[in-house]
Amino acid sequence: MSLLTPLALLSILAIGPLIVAMYLLKLRREERRVSSTFLWRRMVRDVEANAPWQRLRRNWLLLLQLLLLLLLAIALARPFFLTAGISGRNLVIIVDRSASMAATDVAPSRLDAARQQALTLIEQLPEGGRATIIAAGGQMDVLAASTTDRRQLNDAIRSITISAGGSSDLSQALALAAALSSREPDSEVAIISDGNVRVPPEIRVPATVRFFPIGRGADNVAISAMALQPGAAGQTLFIQVTSYSPSPTTRRLDVYLDGSLFNAYDLAFGPDGANDASRVVVTDVPAQVQIAEARLNASPGTDHLASDDVAWAVSNTGAGTTVRIVGPGNRFLETALALLSGVTVTKGPLTAAAASDEVALPQITVFDGVIPDVLPAGNLLFIGPPRSTDLFSVTGQVDFPALRPVTTEPDTQGTSLLRNVSFSDVSVLRAARVEPGIWGRTLVEGDGHPMLLAGEREGRRIVVLAFALQDSDLPLQIAFPLLMSNIVAYLAPGSGVEASQIVPGQPLALVADPSTTGTRVIRPDGRSATAQIQAGQVIYADTGASGAYIIEQLRDDQVINRRRFAVNLFAPEESRIAPAGELSVPQVSGLQQAVTREQVGRQEVWRWLAAAALLVVVAEWLVYQRNGLAYLRQQLRFALATRRQ
Amino acid sequence: MSAGQTQPLFDSAFLRKLDRLALLTRRAMVGDIQGERRSPRRGASVEFADFRPYTTGDDIRQIDWNLYARMERFFLKLFVAEEELTIHLLVDNSASMDWGDPHKLTYTRRLAAAIGYVALATLDRVTVTSFAAGATAQLPGVRGKAGTLPLFAFLQRLMPGSTGDLAAACRRYARLAHHPGPLILCSDLLDPHWEDALRALGARPFEITLLHVLAPQELRPQLDGDFRLLDAESGEAVEITADLETLRRYDESLRAWQHQIEMFCHGRSINYVPVDTAQPVEEFILAMLRKRGVLR
Repeated sequence: MSLLTPLALLSILAIGPLIVAMYLLKLRREERRVSSTFLWRRMVRDVEANAPWQRLRRNWLLLLQLLLLLLLAIALARPFFLTAGISGRNLVIIVDRSASMAATDVAPSRLDAARQQALTLIEQLPEGGRATIIAAGGQMDVLAASTTDRRQLNDAIRSITISAGGSSDLSQALALAAALSSREPDSEVAIISDGNVRVPPEIRVPATVRFFPIGRGADNVAISAMALQPGAAGQTLFIQVTSYSPSPTTRRLDVYLDGSLFNAYDLAFGPDGANDASRVVVTDVPAQVQIAEARLNASPGTDHLASDDVAWAVSNTGAGTTVRIVGPGNRFLETALALLSGVTVTKGPLTAAAASDEVALPQITVFDGVIPDVLPAGNLLFIGPPRSTDLFSVTGQVDFPALRPVTTEPDTQGTSLLRNVSFSDVSVLRAARVEPGIWGRTLVEGDGHPMLLAGEREGRRIVVLAFALQDSDLPLQIAFPLLMSNIVAYLAPGSGVEASQIVPGQPLALVADPSTTGTRVIRPDGRSATAQIQAGQVIYADTGASGAYIIEQLRDDQVINRRRFAVNLFAPEESRIAPAGELSVPQVSGLQQAVTREQVGRQEVWRWLAAAALLVVVAEWLVYQRNGLAYLRQQLRFALATRRQ
Repeated sequence: MSAGQTQPLFDSAFLRKLDRLALLTRRAMVGDIQGERRSPRRGASVEFADFRPYTTGDDIRQIDWNLYARMERFFLKLFVAEEELTIHLLVDNSASMDWGDPHKLTYTRRLAAAIGYVALATLDRVTVTSFAAGATAQLPGVRGKAGTLPLFAFLQRLMPGSTGDLAAACRRYARLAHHPGPLILCSDLLDPHWEDALRALGARPFEITLLHVLAPQELRPQLDGDFRLLDAESGEAVEITADLETLRRYDESLRAWQHQIEMFCHGRSINYVPVDTAQPVEEFILAMLRKRGVLR
């Protein structure tokens, strides 16, 4: 323990003797002549024989006053402990609120511990220091921006809640923190997290970054995947359960179909990373099953994260996607599309009558090497467009383009289209030189020209692949079926097995029926809500709670379309809750990259001393007024005695 | 206190009330000369006491001839002797008695005067003795109404002494007293050896009445604050912090002490009468002393 203003202790030397001197002066007792001290001596002897400390009694006031002086002097000297904390005047606190922060290995939860840590840091903030509170995880939120108002800061910290689907990506938060700290000197960035976060390597934070790790335990078993797919006999239910615990463990998996218990499995897991850390349950379930729910049961205290112990899968049998291929015919394309579950493929030239017939309108129209005069409604995929359309223009030809994915900032469209797809070994003979409109964003380019475009225009989604399939080896690559699957998922959102599984926080989206007049969403908790209809899509964004959602499209109160979605936390990086003790954050200033706890925070204790001084004042007053208190007690006893009579 | 010397001890109306009282004795006691008190001896009164067989040398005038006629043997007819009784008044005039409001010694003077007057009125003999270092005095013995003036004068002259050794004084008095009789000790007993004093008096067949005189300031001290209490006799000091708690303890201690004295007196058939000087002396004598069986 050290003192901030040790000179204040001199007040003891100054005031202490004064108190003692005043006490001695006061102690000059009044002399009084009495007939005899016989009785008084007798009384004093009795009292002192009973309590040896009785002699001290008369000095209580002095002792209490000296104690009070001591406490106040030490409080004025501002003693403090060095703790893990901060020392800067401009503080940026990044609080991780990703799903893994809901773990209960630190009672009551990691997020509570993180909030507590943040409050402590705010307390350590020097006079006039500013702080910014950033909640990272899922959507980044700036809850308090560079303010000195501690109440606002504390309220902001208390308002942080778990973002159920939030991934632990710190790049946005760190970028903001870097921007904030570059403006002011003496800045510090505090990251309060369990360490299961992604730190972008290219960032350089121009301030000291301190990491406050939260969490102790790593025991967690999660349902890492679950799907309900049409099978040979009815449907097939796949459940993958993965253990992230450092030691072998067992769980019971209960499977519920449409709310009633169907089966239970006892599963044994090896430690995290071992081959047997993951178990898969495959079982046939009846065709009419619509919602399957799996629950992991653990004895209390052995599973720290509850949110990944339950998962849902929904069946969308009969709600398939129709895809029409217009073109000379390509076996690769047809095969790849036919393999996708829930996709019905039709072929044939586009007639003007078919183009205007809304009822038979397919959701996706693929133009393989042809361009019609009139573009039909619905979402479009162009493969190797030979000429310009209203949407884009073809200005020539590119020979032997070297394909390169365009790295953009993480984006749902881009990432979903190129998910699991590698274009690096794809060779292309020639491609159309496509000049996109402003609607399209280039996902893959070759020699400066877009090779894969995607975008939305007038409420329809459009994907353009600039080269014909037969002009490249793409159909021979493993990337091809994946790319087709991604493209179909993009063009027909809310369809297919993949699409009915989303993570918490991700909006539900499906193609709206043109005749839809209203929507109804039935949430997992049974409440009803309304989804938005926007640009031909039904969108519902409030999916923070995991569970099964049902979206109904209504026409004049008649349900014309019903789709189910399962919102699950299938996030290995969140389920792996083992806390990290260190976090590597590159900084502009320091050589050190891994910043961990350092004893630089000052925890001042004068408040406790002041509180103790207050208690001493009360005690001194009570001692001083003991006559009155005794009188009161006597009166009370007397009153009680009279009442009893 | 000088006021006690100039003021008369009582007014005449009160003295007339005292005339109607008499000192009670529980048993007959031997006196010196003939008086009005029944004595254990046989003598010449009109009250028949006993018969006894005649022996040679007896006064033949006392032979009961009627009995001789019936029994043909000589019997003497004996009568109760009536003798005077000596009332011993012991007045403590040590410095501790020179204190209090109402003043303890003044109160004691009047008390002693009243009792002495009652005794003189019934033709008893009264001796008054005061004991205190430097102020020992004795009124050797007065009889009859004529003794009233010397008695009152003696009491009015009685000055407070300095220290008083109660035990030594009582021991000496018990040794020297001629005729043990009713003994009235007026003292505050504020002496560590009060038990010795009472024990010494109890060694002689006195019929002791203890008037335990305490001032209201001793019974219910009104103190608040830090005090250094000085003993009036020894000058010793006791430092106290007077608060309700201390006063409560004092009260407890005082009651325990009074109870102890009472028990001690009870065991030695001493009549213990606590006296609070706050009570007017007339009222005390006329009511309290009669109630406690000292006067009749």
